[in-house]
Order: sequence, then structure tokens, then C-alpha cells
Amino acid sequence: MSYYSAVMTSAIVNIIAILSMYTLMGLTGIFSMGQAAFMCVGAYATGMLAIHSHLPMAVIVVLSILAGMVCALLVGFPVVKLRRDYIAMITMGFGEAIVALLNNMSNITGGANGINNIPRKMTLWLGVIILALILVITMNFKRSKYGRYCIAVKNDELSAAAMGINVARVKLTAFVFASGITALAGSLLAYTTTYVEPTAFGFTKSIDWISFVFVGGVNSLTGTLLSGMIFCTLPEILRFADMYRIIAQCAIVLLVVNFLPNGLFGEHEFTDAIAAIRKAAKNRKRGNL
Amino acid sequence: MNILEVKELSIRFGGVKAVQDVSLSVKTDSITSIIGPNGAGKTTFFNLISGVYAPTSGQILFDGQDITGLKQHQISLLGISRTFQNIRLFNQLSILENVQSAMDARATYNLLDSIMTTPKKRRIDRENREKSLEYLRLVGLEKNGQDKPGSLPYGMQRKVELARALASEPKLLLLDEPAAGLNPTEVEEFIRLIHKIKETFHISILLIEHRLQVVHTLSDMIYVLNFGQLLAHGTSREIIENRDVVAAYMGEDD
Repeated sequence: MSYYSAVMTSAIVNIIAILSMYTLMGLTGIFSMGQAAFMCVGAYATGMLAIHSHLPMAVIVVLSILAGMVCALLVGFPVVKLRRDYIAMITMGFGEAIVALLNNMSNITGGANGINNIPRKMTLWLGVIILALILVITMNFKRSKYGRYCIAVKNDELSAAAMGINVARVKLTAFVFASGITALAGSLLAYTTTYVEPTAFGFTKSIDWISFVFVGGVNSLTGTLLSGMIFCTLPEILRFADMYRIIAQCAIVLLVVNFLPNGLFGEHEFTDAIAAIRKAAKNRKRGNL
Repeated sequence: MNILEVKELSIRFGGVKAVQDVSLSVKTDSITSIIGPNGAGKTTFFNLISGVYAPTSGQILFDGQDITGLKQHQISLLGISRTFQNIRLFNQLSILENVQSAMDARATYNLLDSIMTTPKKRRIDRENREKSLEYLRLVGLEKNGQDKPGSLPYGMQRKVELARALASEPKLLLLDEPAAGLNPTEVEEFIRLIHKIKETFHISILLIEHRLQVVHTLSDMIYVLNFGQLLAHGTSREIIENRDVVAAYMGEDD
């Protein structure tokens, strides 16, 4: 695998994880400060299955997604009944706990050494296809009743419940749905880097993701995607700048949050532009007649 | 036949008895009003019926079924819908989506239908969108469907909330001060709208209201609350002539 395609592949994996944050934060307003832990679960599930079993890749990926969703269900049950700020605290605690657990169950997870020699089965094109698939799925989710539930719950829980929306259930659905996507990213990560170790999935990674979503625009899927693209390739582009690249990253986040509180895209989507162009074309045609 | 039957309902918050032994009934296909001074417990009473709070004691029967202590969304799905005193719309959804959100809670497609956009999902969403547009047309806002609620003036936002409450196809509609903040022309328009809604959908309405003009023209029955307790009930003429009610509203005459 060439250098560029390796960089692009790992960027795509991280973008998938960041897209899962959009469903949580952008749509439902859940601040999960431990979301990286579900990536960890997905990566470990894939690592263990790939080494100890002979299952095909597709099956292992699906099982890893399910593992992430089951964990999210267990964490989610107590979490979704809480108030927003407590949700952030508790998910952070659970996230760290999951990582610590994997670190200490050394007989099956390899402890601090992690799992090595996972076959490298991830390719750039596979990554592109899966990213496109996740984009379509997230967009469909947003445009269905579930998307409207999530936004209703984010805007006004009391009012949402009065409309017959089961608030706790909506939050749990969004949490499990998003965590499934995060776990998928983890699984693909294991197939990309060929090893997993627990320290890479602490809450700092989750907070990185949160800041990326804010830069793109917490209410815009397009913004989240674009911001993911920028921040996942930036460290490689700025490789010459050595440790200063972290400062550059912070500067971008601060500037955007300061001058564009709604992020680069606000509430706009790529599809809005297409709709606007179509409308303009229609008007022009009418003008000619 | 009573659509709603409330028996000796009470709730305390610590030492405060916000609602005390209130019994009330709403006849099917009628408009019943609750009036009373500020802090009398009217909104708390609504919150009890719609499940925001569970009562300390007492019983609520809706359509013959005991709904005491049920959760908000369960009560809504059974057929009680409400509006709020301070308008509570979903600001990031369009006006049409706001109305549609009430129907979504009753839509029968699942998550898999959603992420794959199956024909079933498309059909149900399309039908609900058309129905929501009908409700907006009823309140005269069908042209604003794509705007955000924040772009509308106060009085019109109230209408959106009303349309949203109707979209859940309730048997009983709870309106919490629906005419607050409306100017006199809007109030008259609002009274006509309520009459129209009652004739079109044959639903029962329970209303909290301060404006006597609204209460008198609309109500079949009036209940008066004061300090969390029921002070009187009767038709609008009986209430005007009731000395206790006058005293509570205007102050005692020594």
C-alpha cells in the first residue's frame, strides 16, 4: 500500500467514526465523551476474531458492530434517563472503564501489548465504499421519523414527550445506532493498522471528535464530513511542522468556534445547494418562456 | 358520557399543596374551561393530566380507562394532546415537520425501513406530510410549511402549536392559555378557529384561559381554581353570579 493510500484509508476510517458523532451530537444532542471506547470495542472484537477464528472479513465486521451495539445498549440503559451534562460525565466514565477493562483482561486481550498481526485486509476503495454507505444510512436516518424524533428531543424533551415520543427510547436508539457505526470504524481500523492497543481510545480521542464536529457545524452532516476530512488528513499534511501541528489544529478549532459559533456549515447541507441550483434553473427556464 | 373524569386529584411539592382534592369532569364533545388567579394550580393540573407529574393521590380516568401515573408519551398515544403556556415548538424542524412530528410517533415503519428508505417508509412519510399540510391549511399557515417556527410572529406560532396538537388526532385537547399574547383581532379569529376545530373533528376541549371574553363565548362548563382547590363550577352565567369567584378575582368587599 502506498503512503498516500495508507493515509487516506486511515483518514476514512476516522471520518466514519466522526460521522457517528454527528448522529449523537448533531441530531440528538447527546454529548458522549466516551465514544472512542466503542471504537475500541469494535477494534478488539475484530482483532480477537481475526486471529483466533477463520471467519471471513464481512462476518467479523458485522460481529464487531454487534459487539459495539451490545455495549452501547448496556451503557445506554442507565445513561439516557439522565440530564444532558450528566450524560457527558457518565459516558466518559464508562468509556474509560471499557478501555481499562480491555487493558487488564490480559489473558484474552493481550493487555497493554494489545493484539498484533491482524491481517491487513482494508483497502482504500473498500473504505470509500463503506464511507459512502454510512453517509447514505446516516442521511436516511436523519430524513426519517427517527431523525425528526432526535431533533425534537434535542430541542424540547417535554414537548417531544407530549407529542407521544418516547424520549428515553429515542435517545437509546440514537446511542446504539451511532455506537454501531463507531464500532464499525474500530473494526476497519484494526484491519488497517494491523494492531490494536487500548491507550489510543481514551476520552481525549472522543473530545477530539467532538471538536471536529463543532468546527464542521453540529447541525450539518456535510459540515461534519468535511471537517472530518480536514482534521484526519491535517496531521499528515503538517508533518513537517512536527509538534506545532497540534497548535495549528487548536488554532483552527478556536478560530472557527469564535467567529462561526454554528460551525463552517451551520444548518446547511450539500443537498440544499443542489436544490437551490435546480430551483434557479427552473426559474431561468420560466423567465425564457 | 364523560371523556375525562378526575377524582380528588392532589399533588404536593414538599410542603406546597399545588393541587388539592380537585374533582372535575369533561363531557364528550364539549368545551370546558379552568379559570383562576395566577398561581392557582391550573398549569400544574394540566401537567398532572398529561403525565408530566405523577399525582400524590387521586385518580384520572380517560375514556373509562385509568391513566393515573402513566408516562407522558403513553398518555399522548392514548389520545390526550396539549399545547403549552409558553410556546414550545421544535426550533430546528420546519413548521411542517413540527406538525408531522406528532404523526411520526404513530407511524408504523421501523429503523430498518428508515435507513433503507423502503417503499413503506416513503408511502407513510408522504401520507403524513400531506395530512400535516391539511392541518396547517386549517390554521391558515400552509404557505409557511418550509420555514422555521422562529420566523413567525408569536400569534402564528400558537397556531402551529395548535396544528401540531391536532395532528396527533386526540380525543381530548388541552389548551394552556391559548389566547395569551394575542391582540383583540387575533382573539376573535382564535375563537372562530376553536369553533371550527370542534365542528370538524368532534373532539372535547379542556381550556385554561385568563380572558373572560374567550371563556364566556366558548365554554359549556367552567371550573374555578383558587390556591390549588376547586372554588366553584357551573355554566358561565352561574360563575359570574358566584360571590366567591368574584371575591377571588376582584378581592373581598368589606
